[in-house]
Amino acid sequence: MDTILLGLQLVFNVETLLVILAASVFGVFVGAVPGLTATMAVALLVPITFYMDPVPAIAAIVTTSAMAIFSGDIPATYLNIPGTPSSAAYVGDSHLLARSGRARETLGVNLVCSVFGGIFGTIILVFVSPSLAEVALQFSSFEYFWLALLGLSCSIFIAIGSRVKAFLSLMIGLLLSTVGLDMMSGAPRFTFGIPDLMAGINFIPVMIGMFALNELMLFYGSRGDGRAMPSLSKDSVFSQVPGHLKAYWPNMFRGGSIGTLIGALPGAGADIAAWISYAVGKGRSKQKEAYGTGHIEGIVDASSANNSGISGAWVPALVFGIPGDSITAIVIGVLYMKGMNPGPTIFMDGSGLIYALFVVFFLANLVMLPIGYAAIRSAKVFILTPRKVLMPIILCFCIVGAFSINNSITDVWIMLIIGAVASILARCDFPMAPAILGLVLGTTLENNFMSSMLKSNGDLLAFFSRPISAGLGALVILLWLSPLLTMAYKKFKHANSNKAQELS
Amino acid sequence: MRDFILGLAFMLSGCIVIYVAQQYPTMASLQFGPSLFPSLIGGGFLIGGLFLSVKQVPILKTQYASNTPGNNRPLPIRSLLASLLPCVMIIFYILTSEFLGAAVSLAIGIFVLMLSRKASLLLSLAVSILASLTIYFIFSTYLMIPLPEGLMRFWG
Repeated sequence: MDTILLGLQLVFNVETLLVILAASVFGVFVGAVPGLTATMAVALLVPITFYMDPVPAIAAIVTTSAMAIFSGDIPATYLNIPGTPSSAAYVGDSHLLARSGRARETLGVNLVCSVFGGIFGTIILVFVSPSLAEVALQFSSFEYFWLALLGLSCSIFIAIGSRVKAFLSLMIGLLLSTVGLDMMSGAPRFTFGIPDLMAGINFIPVMIGMFALNELMLFYGSRGDGRAMPSLSKDSVFSQVPGHLKAYWPNMFRGGSIGTLIGALPGAGADIAAWISYAVGKGRSKQKEAYGTGHIEGIVDASSANNSGISGAWVPALVFGIPGDSITAIVIGVLYMKGMNPGPTIFMDGSGLIYALFVVFFLANLVMLPIGYAAIRSAKVFILTPRKVLMPIILCFCIVGAFSINNSITDVWIMLIIGAVASILARCDFPMAPAILGLVLGTTLENNFMSSMLKSNGDLLAFFSRPISAGLGALVILLWLSPLLTMAYKKFKHANSNKAQELS
Repeated sequence: MRDFILGLAFMLSGCIVIYVAQQYPTMASLQFGPSLFPSLIGGGFLIGGLFLSVKQVPILKTQYASNTPGNNRPLPIRSLLASLLPCVMIIFYILTSEFLGAAVSLAIGIFVLMLSRKASLLLSLAVSILASLTIYFIFSTYLMIPLPEGLMRFWG
């Protein structure tokens, strides 16, 4: 009980509450401006959170990401341009509804479903993660090695598009994680005689380069701001919501469950959760043909899922230190920088931090209701902010933010190089999430492998000697063999159907 | 074609990574040491790059046989150069911030970038001065980051 009170004290103080409020406004703004993603918002925020206490720092990140995911729906509805990738799944429906004068009604449903999804995911986080943490306490370096490998493998198999490209993206992240002094031998690797690289590559300049500079380069490579003033609707935000919720409440629960589950898988973020939930909802709907023609049901499915995905991603991040998406990968880096190691012990250290985090999640989602309402009412401000003014200012934040981590110009160079490489790769459809997971989990993977090998005197079979370790190892192998197994099954099925045709 | 060249680039990078990794010392207690992971990653680059390139070979063959350019549109040089503007500004900041100061370098950068997107002269000037000074004071005064003062030191 004392720990819970301690946790509440950590949240309910002026500093943290003000940070939550400021972060929610920042999140709404970034999410509502097309081209600025939730991950970019968090990457820009990290240099500032670096100077905060752990709870306000995490509160800022949680609130910004939850808010940005919702407010991405505002330009999606009015302009047919998703503010963040998470709104892309239902942009067609939202915009068609807006064109028929129901923009505020649509955004009201979006807002309530987003709040519901976020709270649903948080409840699962609160109830599931402590039990999982008790299991995780039994883990040794063998289990953590397999777990890191499982997370990295998932990031390849879940990625949208080419798996080869996702694999190469992961390799880039892993390579970056090897820069610096080797933990076992102390030998410098890929430091090229630069003293600043001895401690390794800090993930913040990499993050800013990959997500912010990359976007800036894409913006300057494109033509014009090209946004005409849309006709803003005057309908009521909440008056139709109860009716829609009464009709589609099972969709909200299904979307919340799918979102939390997908969010918990490493490499799969809120955008994938929204797409899957939309597809599942369409498959099970009585009005399948209405999806994509301005139907509110698909919006309920997907907007519940994308916000619950944000909370779901925190389950593996807090329990095992394995990030569920790019945002939790950033948070894990922040926690390490603050000397707090995410993992099962975070639930038992008696500092109340974990309860503070849970409360922050609830608050971040609840504050979305009034701030989101205000954002819907003042949508014009967000959607018409000229990017030609905004982008140069963001670039300045990138430069100063990268510099501020170690007060070193080397970090600005790192951001520049990574941003340029990421821009080339993004133009060639390489996903960025595996690279970030590789960078964050690379050290965990290598250190746990090396310490396991030292413990077992180089015996590789020791990785299968403990029951949980063997189970996780089998899961990884099965995952890697799954494309071959699927191919074999398809061939077998095809051959059988051919045989049946010949016989008939 | 783009993926084919990228695949080759990854293969070349893989060879370089493996070569560099071989120079690292081995550990007395184990058969492998700091070179193991970089070598595996280099191998990953090689295999992944090979897959990426090989997958493109049939497409390139078909295009070559039918003598059609396929998807090989001419490179949008102007758009590529424009996309490098943020990088140029970062390099400008790195090279000039020590003697011009962070605030002045940032202001020049914002001004040029806004003009490049056809913002009005007055708006560009106002935004560049206001934004650079705000960012400078947030980071140097509130977050205590030692940003280069440059010309600002004469101001007070």
